[in-house]
Amino acid sequence: MAHRRGGSLVAVLVAGLMAACSSSSGASSSSSVSGGASTAPIVIGISLSQTGDFSDPGKAAMRGYQLWAETVNGSGGILGRQVQLKIADDASDPGQAVTNYETFITKDHVDLVFGPFSTLLSVPSAQIANRYGYSFVEPAGGGPDMFAAKLPNVFFVQPAPVLACGDPFVNWILSLPADQRPKTAAYVSLDDPFASPIADAMQAKFEAAGIQTLARTIYPPETTNFTPIVSPVAAKSPDMWVGGTQSDDAYAQVKSMISLNFNPKFLYLSNGASSPVEFPSKVGASNVNGIFSCGDWFPNSNASGNQDFISAYTAKYGGDAFGIDSTSAEAYAVGQLIQAVAAKTGSIDNQTIINTLHSGTWPTVEGNLSWDQYGMPQGSDMLVEWIDQKLTPVYPADVALHTPVSPKPNWGG
Amino acid sequence: MRLFVQAVILGLLAGGVYALMASGLTLAFGIMRVINVAQGVMIILGAYVSYTLFTHFGVDPFLSVLFVVPVVFVLGVVIELVFIRPLRPSEREELSLLVTWAVALGIEGVLGLVYSTTYRSTIPSYANAAWRIGGFAVLQVQVYAFGLSVVILAVLGVVLAKTRFGRAVRGTVQNPASAALLGVDERKVAAIGFGLSVATAAAAGAVYGVVTPFNPGSHYDLISLLLTIIVLGGMGSLPGTVVAAVLMGVSQALLATYISPTSAKLTFFILLIGILVVRPQGLFGAVERGKL
Amino acid sequence: MRTVSRSGVALTVVIVAGLAAFPFVFQANWVVNIAVFTMMYAGLATAWNLLGGYSGYISLCNAAFFGVGAYAIANLFPTSGGPPGSTPFLILPLLGLGAAILSIPIGWVAFRTRGVTFAIVTISLLFVAQTLAFLMRSFTRGSQGMGIGVPRFSVATYERPFYLALLAIFVFAVSVCWYVRRAKLGLTLFAIRDDEDRARGLGVDTEIAKLVTFAMSLGITAMIGGVWAYYITYIYPQFAVDPLITIGMVLMVFLGGKGTLWGPLLGALLLVPAQRLLAQNASTARWYLILYSGVFLLVILLLPRGIIPSVQDLIARLRSKSDRDTSPPAATVPTVRTEVVP
Repeated sequence: MAHRRGGSLVAVLVAGLMAACSSSSGASSSSSVSGGASTAPIVIGISLSQTGDFSDPGKAAMRGYQLWAETVNGSGGILGRQVQLKIADDASDPGQAVTNYETFITKDHVDLVFGPFSTLLSVPSAQIANRYGYSFVEPAGGGPDMFAAKLPNVFFVQPAPVLACGDPFVNWILSLPADQRPKTAAYVSLDDPFASPIADAMQAKFEAAGIQTLARTIYPPETTNFTPIVSPVAAKSPDMWVGGTQSDDAYAQVKSMISLNFNPKFLYLSNGASSPVEFPSKVGASNVNGIFSCGDWFPNSNASGNQDFISAYTAKYGGDAFGIDSTSAEAYAVGQLIQAVAAKTGSIDNQTIINTLHSGTWPTVEGNLSWDQYGMPQGSDMLVEWIDQKLTPVYPADVALHTPVSPKPNWGG
Repeated sequence: MRLFVQAVILGLLAGGVYALMASGLTLAFGIMRVINVAQGVMIILGAYVSYTLFTHFGVDPFLSVLFVVPVVFVLGVVIELVFIRPLRPSEREELSLLVTWAVALGIEGVLGLVYSTTYRSTIPSYANAAWRIGGFAVLQVQVYAFGLSVVILAVLGVVLAKTRFGRAVRGTVQNPASAALLGVDERKVAAIGFGLSVATAAAAGAVYGVVTPFNPGSHYDLISLLLTIIVLGGMGSLPGTVVAAVLMGVSQALLATYISPTSAKLTFFILLIGILVVRPQGLFGAVERGKL
Repeated sequence: MRTVSRSGVALTVVIVAGLAAFPFVFQANWVVNIAVFTMMYAGLATAWNLLGGYSGYISLCNAAFFGVGAYAIANLFPTSGGPPGSTPFLILPLLGLGAAILSIPIGWVAFRTRGVTFAIVTISLLFVAQTLAFLMRSFTRGSQGMGIGVPRFSVATYERPFYLALLAIFVFAVSVCWYVRRAKLGLTLFAIRDDEDRARGLGVDTEIAKLVTFAMSLGITAMIGGVWAYYITYIYPQFAVDPLITIGMVLMVFLGGKGTLWGPLLGALLLVPAQRLLAQNASTARWYLILYSGVFLLVILLLPRGIIPSVQDLIARLRSKSDRDTSPPAATVPTVRTEVVP
């Protein structure tokens, strides 16, 4: 749900005073920042959701950003300047995200801004950054509306746009010999910008390849009772089950299938099933085998700096590599890119960042990234599968640690 | 036909739990003319307490009801004394709605601070166990939750019908002035009644988390459902509430099965508008004070 | 029933001129950004006060019409349509009229109930509207959200047109309130608030009065929703139809003074800048829901009539003390249930 907050008269007066001060001193402070060989810290403004709908990924992104800042400061900073993160809460509210980026840029005169979590917040925030000529390197916000906004300052720091998440699975299924392929399919998705469009895109490709669609269902967010949704679809016994899922709904779909004792030959869940700790704990570790999902980052990957990232992460926050949320890796990669631009050009000027990132390929913990003119990444996600109760990359072959196992074993097997 | 029966079974089971959740709301309104918007958050609070007891101490969620009910009862009495009693009687109906909404936000905020907004669910060993009877799969926990609801509703019914407190409540509901003349302490009835009304919600909440994942914001979904149920049931009528709750559960399950899961979310809209046009006083409602 | 007092006119001129001058005096974008949200809530609260403050009917579905306005603008000016310039502002009156017409059948159903049932029915309508915003995908694109064309206003004064549009709507809302209070409609609303059955018994057509007021209140709310959507540029159901927008406007009305002309503005001035600044600070943000609920509870329990009526009472009491010899105090102290100026 959505939230705002209350306060006191004092803050209003303070706001008025600060307004008066900033309009008089604004010019001088911004000129000191842009003055070339400064040793002042590089201030980076980031709006993150610490409360509200996006607070969990918001906190994961914050861990990634802070880890990066500590790491880079430990090795002398960027161009000899320390990095200082200025993080504000947006309570998952686009209006507050707008206020926060306005404040970073026109009041605090930060050097850079990084993106928040979720397309829903990223689109309005990127518009503001664009208006003031700031680059907008973002760990999340890879929905189609982001790229439809045609903003030249945006760079989505994941290997592929969100909607392409199902592509590796589609490519693998279509690479199978005809007699091993599923004949029929069902698509059961959450009404969410990061869920149902993925399943829709997969459905179009599977249908074009002759796989018959037996059912397509979209359920609203906050759906809690899944048996009425799953049972009519299961009654049609599709060979392949594609869930356009986010998190809890993925667990609930699986639990309903188990209780109905329905076991499809192929089971793909776009998200939720890719959560290394949460998923087995919610559906039972013995039920995970053979389930496919998609991932942009994986602890075992040999992407640039990944092992350093993992050891720094586990040293700072504890746990093991499989407990790291991929959002933290995405946020960390945002920082890596800025470091790389600074190393290459000797500048962290916003226009330099925009121009530089538009050409070439950039290695990060998220893999080697490159973008089109509106920040859409040009790579591909990974297909992951639960094998022996471990989440394992299985496709495409160049990142695979195992070949895909099919058909899916029975529940509990 | 098979799907139809499956949907009706699921709807009845869900409706029974809705009935328990909504009965407290009806009780509070009957006694004090107070609409408790915090009823939903009390359910979620019950779910969190039960979740904590289960994950830290291994207490079975159905057993934790015994702990949750008295704790939330006391909380309810405190809320009544501090926030509802000071309201002027002439404005109590309207202002109670806003005050309890504010209480709901406050508790939501505290839960968010303590537990963050991650969805939780309480998963005892039997969470996924199902019975299959004649080809129909029924989750055991849903049956247990339904059974618990029936038991608590029955106890509530007996308390209201047979005990001195129950007579005082019924007297207050019918006519507060004459009840006071007969020696009923309305203030005491109000405090205990409010405590009882939220405690029943929390009892439902203790097992809610086994059936459904929840987070601090989940109470909005619950309260919108519950408010519709009590309007349908006729504002203050307990039998009306139970019938409306079951009707809601079954029609939601049928719509989800036959039309689409999304349309099930509009069930209450269709029912509400339909009933209001035909019968503004609800299914069972008397326009003025009557019996519970 | 009341003549226009000279001090009332002077106060109005000062307030409106001050608000109009604000973005020209304080030009920093982030300050005007906060002013945009403040003016938004001032208008919303004033519109809510029209029905809630004068007739006593607590309508909790206003945020639904905020969403209606927001989605109307989003559909008329999609991202793909390019920068819309000032056209969205110009069609706002039509949008308000459309929303007002839409609200009449809804009001007809809701007004079959009264008192607390009306509040519950409208709160249910609000939740239904949010569900509809998720479901009516052809109109709202569900939870995917909708982008709106971004105007090419000058960067230095980017916020100003939005602020001025919201100010214009606010002034319109205040004018409607001012007019209603001295027209026959106002008398009817006060009669409804004091005793609806008696008013009907006396032959007053309460139905029409309630419906007209409901429609005006929601029409204004929808216009504000339209400006908000254009300003935010990307909307989705949780925030376009947000229960906390409803509770925000109710809180501001209660804080400033229910049934007063300027109370809603005062409530917005006190709460909105504070909430937006507090929100940014990560350490206070965690407490925001608790703070919000605390402020609300304090206002309702300690200051149930709001700041303006309480202060007026205080002044009246002080004045009556000094005038004790010349006039009896009972004559100068306003009674609790009548509304007070300003």
